[in-house]
Amino acid sequence: MDWSLVWKAAVALAGAAIVLGIVLAVASRRFRVEIDPRVEEILKVLPGSNCGACGLPGCEAAAEAVAAGEAPPTICKAGGPDVAAELGKVMGIEVESTTPMVAHIHCRGGKSLSPLKAIYQGVNSCRASEVAMGGGKACPYGCIGLMDCANICPVSAIEYDEEGIRRVNVRKCTGCGLCADVCPRGLIEIVPAHAHVFVRCKCQYTGKKALSVCKVACIGCKKCEKVCPSDAIHVENGFATIDYDKCTDCGECAMACPTGSIQIWTEGEGHPEGGEFALPEGKKKREPEAAVEAS
Amino acid sequence: MNEAWRYFLLFFGAAFVYNFLLIRFIGLCPFFGISNRLETSLGMSISVIFVMVMASSVCWVLRSYVLSPLGVEEFLYIPAYILVIASLVQFVEMVIKKTSPPLYKAMGIYLPLITTNCAVLAAVIESTRPGFMKLNIEYGYTFLEALIFTIGVSVGFAIVLVLFAAMRERLDMAPIPKFFRGAPIAFIAAALYSLAFMGFQGMFGL
Repeated sequence: MDWSLVWKAAVALAGAAIVLGIVLAVASRRFRVEIDPRVEEILKVLPGSNCGACGLPGCEAAAEAVAAGEAPPTICKAGGPDVAAELGKVMGIEVESTTPMVAHIHCRGGKSLSPLKAIYQGVNSCRASEVAMGGGKACPYGCIGLMDCANICPVSAIEYDEEGIRRVNVRKCTGCGLCADVCPRGLIEIVPAHAHVFVRCKCQYTGKKALSVCKVACIGCKKCEKVCPSDAIHVENGFATIDYDKCTDCGECAMACPTGSIQIWTEGEGHPEGGEFALPEGKKKREPEAAVEAS
Repeated sequence: MNEAWRYFLLFFGAAFVYNFLLIRFIGLCPFFGISNRLETSLGMSISVIFVMVMASSVCWVLRSYVLSPLGVEEFLYIPAYILVIASLVQFVEMVIKKTSPPLYKAMGIYLPLITTNCAVLAAVIESTRPGFMKLNIEYGYTFLEALIFTIGVSVGFAIVLVLFAAMRERLDMAPIPKFFRGAPIAFIAAALYSLAFMGFQGMFGL
């Protein structure tokens, strides 16, 4: 065996490696780019799901903006108050606590409650069906249920319920608001996570017309307005809206609602979504038609 | 055969007749991995052209002036070329990051990927050890020939990648049966592309 070959090979490779190593070492010095060390720290704190709810392209852009002082530590909606506090620690700024928010879909009129007026066979998207004469559902204000909000959700928090209506899993929801932007009917509202009473309808029809498209529609009767002790619920455009700054979760409106469109969210460990919607305890079920007659 | 014509044949053969992606099936991972969107495939193509040409020039010098004279080329060329390609990519990345942030943003993610791209290694090896094209070149390529060959290879790579990405963007809108969506239809389309490129076979006697 020719041992000189081994030596030559070793010399050639080692020589090439040393030269290249020196070139790289010099280059890394000469071409060093100054990066704010806080960017990496911030990046570790951020959730990293790149949801884009902050309005910047991805968590890295958000981290750079925060480090440069262009964005407040509260920029990350998905991360909530915990992340904001952590970011404040990194940046050395005091952060006021923010209320955690969750998305809520204001419709409960599923297959059995709101009849179909047509069969929609177009593109499988709420926005497409909205363009095509509002899709197949009789109620022109209700949830279409074709997954647009679920598809855009970065944390998969929006699920089906058995009625074909979307609902939000509050355990996963980060309140980023992407779904609220995408819903063609504006049914999704970002509400404080402590809210428990919901008007689950945004139907602008009133009275009998509302009930003709959905059995659990808000008919705009204003009974809730009258019973509310804290002036938190008001009927506008034919449906009731709750002001969560004033609402005390007393549930009087849900008791008074003749159609059962106001429901109470009960948190429960046993529920995979974190809880369930129900009518208040002790509420007598009334025939919706009778309610219209009475009002 | 005059010089200019020979250079043209070298370029044309490398780019089309013996296209790396569709005829010789080298570098298929970026071909399917990066071709989802036109924008990313453009970034990847530019990076590949850049790195291939740089790497083959440096490796040609290394082979002609270090490996061959020492007589160790026969068994040392692969590790030596890998060493050069890897450090070259690192170097280029650093330089671009410093000198041109927009360019770095455009192709920064793809540069590290290219380090271990088999197409780059294959192009470098073939530019220093020719032997597959019927050009009657029994000696090694000169520097200029190696350069033209690599430019041909990388341009052929870029053209096919961009064409394919543009077509895949249209495939997304096409009414394709659900079970063919995504990768399956891409494979079928690639096969048809490959058949179409076979049409260059034998052109100019290559």
